This record gives sequence, structure tokens and C-alpha cells, in this order.
Amino acid sequence: MKTMYVCNDTITGIFSAVYDAWKTKKSEDECGIAIQGMLERELFCEYCRTEESEKKAQAVENLIKKHLGRRVYWDLYHAALSEDREKGDAILGTMLAARRIPDSRRIMEHLSHPKVEKVFKLSRNVGGEAHSYKGFLRFRELVNGVLYSEITPRNQVLTCLAPHFADRLPLENWMIYDKTHRMFAVHEAGKKWILVLNEEPEQSFAAQISERELEYARLWKSFCRTIAIESRTNPRCQLGHLPLRYRGDMLEMSDVL
Amino acid sequence: MRIQESMSMYEKLNILTDAAKYDVACTSSGTARKGDGTGMGSCEQSGICHSFSADGRCISLLKILFTNECIYDCKYCINRRSNDVVRTSFTPDEVCTLTMEFYRRNYIEGLFLSSGILISPDYTMELIYASLYKLRKECNFQGYIHVKAIPGANQELIQQVGFLADRMSVNLELPTAESLRLLAPHKTRKNILTPMRLVQNRMTENKEELAVYRSAPRFVPAGQSTQMIIGATPETDYQIIQVAESLYQRFELKRVFYSAFVHVNEDKALPKRTDEGPPLLREHRLYQADWLLRYYHFQAAELLSEENPNFNVMLDPKCNWALKHLEQFPVEINRADYKLLLRVPGLGYKSAVRIVKARRLGVLDFSDLKKMGVVLKRAMYFITCSGKMMYPTKLEEDYITRNLLDVKEKLPEEIRNMGYRQLSLFDDVRFAGSFTGKAGGAV
Repeated sequence: MKTMYVCNDTITGIFSAVYDAWKTKKSEDECGIAIQGMLERELFCEYCRTEESEKKAQAVENLIKKHLGRRVYWDLYHAALSEDREKGDAILGTMLAARRIPDSRRIMEHLSHPKVEKVFKLSRNVGGEAHSYKGFLRFRELVNGVLYSEITPRNQVLTCLAPHFADRLPLENWMIYDKTHRMFAVHEAGKKWILVLNEEPEQSFAAQISERELEYARLWKSFCRTIAIESRTNPRCQLGHLPLRYRGDMLEMSDVL
Repeated sequence: MRIQESMSMYEKLNILTDAAKYDVACTSSGTARKGDGTGMGSCEQSGICHSFSADGRCISLLKILFTNECIYDCKYCINRRSNDVVRTSFTPDEVCTLTMEFYRRNYIEGLFLSSGILISPDYTMELIYASLYKLRKECNFQGYIHVKAIPGANQELIQQVGFLADRMSVNLELPTAESLRLLAPHKTRKNILTPMRLVQNRMTENKEELAVYRSAPRFVPAGQSTQMIIGATPETDYQIIQVAESLYQRFELKRVFYSAFVHVNEDKALPKRTDEGPPLLREHRLYQADWLLRYYHFQAAELLSEENPNFNVMLDPKCNWALKHLEQFPVEINRADYKLLLRVPGLGYKSAVRIVKARRLGVLDFSDLKKMGVVLKRAMYFITCSGKMMYPTKLEEDYITRNLLDVKEKLPEEIRNMGYRQLSLFDDVRFAGSFTGKAGGAV
């Protein structure tokens, strides 16, 4: 009978489930991973709740980095951030498949394996969304000088964005709120960034923008309007590059001001 | 009209953005740089697009002119001195404040500073230098900066600016010296090529300096680019890509940008105004050919010739080339070398790399190619897998042309949506003539 390890939808959760499944030394057909909250029960399956711990997750991270290399870790990590229901299964399947090939580090070249292909797709999708948000995310300055941003991503991209902005704006206090997954990335000037889970911003907090903010928002909106060449106007091309789902959180696409 | 002092930042930005919008490049790629923790900013190798304007072009940099005052009178330019437009200038301080405030809100990836010529090339270049110096040294800005080198400015000054910028460009303006004389009477080809050569030489020297001292200051790390206007003057596509090719080879440019001519002035030296809009399809074909030169090991002379000097509007340059060289096809996917794979219509360089990697692990057939994401609708006429074609097809020019035209090339939206009319052979007026008697069964 197949054993499904059920875990939370976090990196720690998924890696802990991989840890449990890995220890039983079962084959691919005999074990799998399901995410709590996205569970679809199957027949002839035994469901087993994974107890998650930092220690297990760390062990799996080390295992991947040591035997599969950093680039494969990058793919597996990004796949784990995906919104996809079967991501845990794909990650476990890829790791098990890597055991059977002569050079495990080249596992991501074996795209004919369905689990590997899945990880490849998920990783590309998450990486793509994270890259888009590096550009499309907008900060606004609050009265206390904090730069504040809200995004609505499909995948959990905050941990991909935070290092980028920490490097870019090291001397600023900033926070990014992920509305979909209800979590924050918070950065205090000159310090390391942290992730805060299951929190919501206070209504009044985000609305109090600084005095100068309106002025720059107005300048930016007018810049975006002016830079377009009229005789080349082409909303469909714009739509292809900048899908509607990003626009809700973008200043220049909103009607206010 | 000369207005000073009283103009608000809002008005200034509007005027100087509007004046800068015809510049093509808005790329922020080519440099990777981590922030050093003391200021603001970093660069990603791939570049980052921050928004897209209503014409579908990417907004990555704060693209502005320093001033739209100009002592020159280039016929195609909105800012020429004989035009009656509101003139204004930024101060270096204003440029810095705008860049920093936009950057920290993540509106932009950096600054693209161009300028009209105020008083003299040297005077203008000094102002640009002052802006960049302040931005880099006082504000500690480590984001991307693209700056124009102004032809005729002092060499030492251009060099100093190069150490502060990531990318520099000198506009070629028009493809030939003849056209330049006609439309930009105050500019000469020699004047434009001198700073281009200077930047090239300095970049080469800088590579050696960096090899010795890793922390030596970097000179134009993202390379040099240029742009020219297409369709304002009677050059053929062949002349244009030959110019581009020699720029890549002799000046080691990173990119050549083509800009479809947009009517902004009335002038008897300019082509007559029509209601067809800018020649976007032609611009698109030139970009396609440009990619073939840079990434696909093609030579300009292979794509076009004196007898056949313009691109086919119906087919992309690579298909067009392949149809004229059917003796080199079909290509065997499992054996052909990488460079030959690159020449197959429909195969991109990513697909070619994937094929070369994957065939080491086993023999490939058409279903494997599909799994790898190789698009076969055009390639299928030109390739075999283990000696077999995908479907029985004829290796004949007319037959393949007919089928390729049925496939319908996926043109970028701006060209497909030229709207009111379909693509026709007569899209390009001069093209109609050169087509008679050639490629019989094309339509």
C-alpha cells in the first residue's frame, strides 16, 4: 500500500516530509507527499501526518546540496514554493530518480522523467513570477519613512524577493506584504530581513502615506503616460508583457490621482 | 520660447520625457553588480522590466533628456532648434533626486540620460558628467546608468563619464553618411564614429586593467550600443544590415537598435507623410536579421544581396535564406553540427543546445523533439530524424513556401495589429518593384 506523507505548505514542512519518506527507503510507487489543505484523498493509500522540524528540513537541504548540487537545490527549492498541489510528490520523485542515474547532479537534464519535468516546470514558473515581481512591485513611503508594498502572487515568492531588495535597499526600512499567503518580509535598515507568517497589516497602518509620496506618485504616473509613443499605441502587446493580475498592485495602472 | 525658474518639476519631467521617448533602447541588461551596503542599488545581468507603456514597450529606466534645448537642426528630430516647442533643462540635482526617489520606490532600474546640445557639446557633456558624478559619488547610487556620449565633446570628458556609466551609446542617427548630410546638416559621420571608437578602445584597455587589478574602476561594463532611424531615408535593408554588421565587427557594439521613423516634423527633406504609421514590419525584419547576425553566425551578405536588397515581408529572414539554399537541407537532427542546426528555420539557439545535449543520451525522434519544446511547424520541412522526415514532404521551394505561409508566422502584436489591413506584398513601397519575376509561386 502507498504511504502518503501529509505536511504543511512551507519549505520546512515539505522537506520534513521528504525526510520521513526518504528514511523508509521505499520506492517511488510506494510513497508520496501531499500538502495539508490541498489534499485529495485516493483509494488504497495510507495517510500519515509528518511532524515537521527545522532539523529534518536542514538535513534534507544538506543532502540535496551535497549530492545533487546547488543548481538542483535551486530548482527543488523554487518548486517547493509553487502553488501546485503535487509539488511535494514531484520533489520526492525527482530525488528518488536521481539515486538511480550515474551522475545525480545531472538529474535536471532527464526531462523525460515525468517528476523531473514537473519540478522543472514548477521551478521555471515560480522563478518567472519572482522575476516579474522584482520589476512590478511598487513601494510607497509611509509617514514613518517605511517603504511598504503589497503583492498578490500565485506562488510564495517572498523568500525570492527579499534577498534581492535587501541587497538593493540596504539602508531602508521596508516591508512587503503577500496578500495571497498572508505573510510579510520585513527589513530593518542595516540588518537582515525576516519572514513573518500568518499576520495581517492593520488597516490604518498602510493608508498613512508620507507627504512627499503623493508628489512622486504623480510624477511617476505622468512619466508612464508620456513615455508611450502615440502612433505605436498597442494595448494587446502591453497586455502580453504585463498581465492583468499584476496590475492591481501597480501604482501606474490604478485610476487614483 | 525660453521659460525658466517658474516651471514645476511635474511640467519639466513631462517635457523632457516626451522629448526622450523616441530613443529606442530601454534595456538594463549586461551588468551584474551587488550592492556594497553603503548606498542604494544593484544590477542584474538579465536586466529587469519595471512596467510596460501603452505602446507595449518596456519601461526599465528613467528615460529623460537633460535638456531639450539644442543648437542643431536635425530634420527628423522634435527638438531641432527651428521647432517652436517649450524648452527646459534639469539641473544635476534634480536628476539625482528624481532617480533616487523613483529607484527606492522600485519604479525603475536606473537612469537613461540623453540630451539635446546646450551651448556646445562640451558644455552639455560636462552637465551630464556632473549629474552622474553626484549620483554615483554623493548619493552612492549603484543601479544601472545608460548615458549618451555626445559627438564632438572632449575625449577626456567622455572617458570620465564612461567610468560612471554602465552603458554608453552614440547615436548613428541614419545608416549612411549621405543621409546624415541630408537630414542632420550639423552632424558628420566622422564626428559620430570618433567617440564610438574611443569608447571601444577604452573598453579594451579596461579589460587589461581589470585582468591585472581586479578592483580597478570599470569602464562601460555593459558595453556600447547605437541606434539608427529606419525609413526616413532611401537605404535598402541590405545597406542597413551591412552597416550593422560592420558596427558589430569593427566597433564591437553590444547592440544596434533600429527605430521605425515616426513623423514629428514637416520638412521637404523627409519622406511624404502617409497614414500607414511607422514602418513597423520593416523594423521587425531588421531585428530578426540582427539576431541572425549576432547569435546565429549569419553574414549580412548571405541574407541579402545587391540584386535582392530588401527582406521578404511575408517570410522571416531565416526562412527566406533556407528556401534559397535548399541544397543544404534536410538536416539530420542526430548528426548535424550545432552551427548547421542553428540555420534550420524554426529552431532557436536554445532548442539547438537542447538537441545537442539530449542526443548524447540517445537517438532522437520527432516526439522527443516535441517534448523538449522544439516547435516543428516550420522546422519539419527542413529536418530528418534518423533519416526520416516527419511527414512525406517535397523539398521544393514553391511547395515549402506555400506551406510556410499557411502556418502564419507569429508576428509581434504591434505588427499584427496594424489593424485596418492585412499583410500584403506591397507593404513596403519599394519592395513591390523588386518582387516582380522573383519567387513565382509565393502567393
